[in-house]
Amino acid sequence: MHDYGEEMANNDIVMLEGGPLIDVAALEDAVGWTLKPEGLCKDDSCVIVHDRAALMSGDRVDVTAVASLIDRPAAHDATSGLVAIGAPRELRRAAVNDMQAPDFTLPDLDGLPMNFSDHRSKKRLLVAFSSW
Amino acid sequence: MIAVAVDEDVEAIRGAAHGITYPILIDADHVVAELYAISNVPTVLMIDEDDNIVQPNWSAYASDTFRELTGIDSEIQKDHIRAWAKDGTLRMPPEDAKGAVSDLSPEEEQARLFFRIATRLRNNGDADGAERNFVTAIDLAPYDWTVQRAAQPLRGINPFGEAFMELYTAFNEAGRPFHGVTGH
Repeated sequence: MHDYGEEMANNDIVMLEGGPLIDVAALEDAVGWTLKPEGLCKDDSCVIVHDRAALMSGDRVDVTAVASLIDRPAAHDATSGLVAIGAPRELRRAAVNDMQAPDFTLPDLDGLPMNFSDHRSKKRLLVAFSSW
Repeated sequence: MIAVAVDEDVEAIRGAAHGITYPILIDADHVVAELYAISNVPTVLMIDEDDNIVQPNWSAYASDTFRELTGIDSEIQKDHIRAWAKDGTLRMPPEDAKGAVSDLSPEEEQARLFFRIATRLRNNGDADGAERNFVTAIDLAPYDWTVQRAAQPLRGINPFGEAFMELYTAFNEAGRPFHGVTGH
């Protein structure tokens, strides 16, 4: 069984082990945002955190609460401790509301990553299919 | 053409891919199903040179295998695709295409995440954990085929057997909910 999901790094989705509380220092690696005095920040933009206490548990930060603030969905299976964080909702809204195709990176049958945007400047027929 | 398998069975896809020269990508985590609000397969999109979606999520077929169920003549659908490829003729006017796909509900969004957790647990050998999360996902989005049907082979259920007919019946009774457009 090939497990491309484990091997592939996809910037849009996140899977964490060990529950939703992570070190503040690990936040950037997990979701690309850092917690600063001015709020949650990424590049030049910051989201104001109105209730910092609600985001924290001791010196750790609840990554599902962070996901909510940066408009990404999150799910937590308490028994296993796995936390899944979905893609920024703005990417799908761009597709369904503004007809802008979101980019994605997936492995081909040989496990080699391909970006949808590698084929930009061509017309593309995107076909979602399955064996089920 | 870029084909995305909403599937984690790489060998099954490889078997079907013999002789095909266009890219076939494996989307075991259903990333594209999340990004494009795809709820069933086949779902086809036409995307132009500038990343504009000119034909949003469309239930279109490569063959007439399912014609008795769908009433769809795949040749008519393929004619639309050929016409667009040739001279840019659009199947839908832009004003109709815009807004033709509804966004995922919060439950459908959550279902995709629990599905992802379930497949991860399954790959880690935690069958009970996988089943627990598959069931959570299905309860959240019972008529989303990328959730319930995609989970069937991963849960040891024959996706072409009784479970399929049960899902198909429930889906019809629910009004055939689909994130996209159908028909010729």
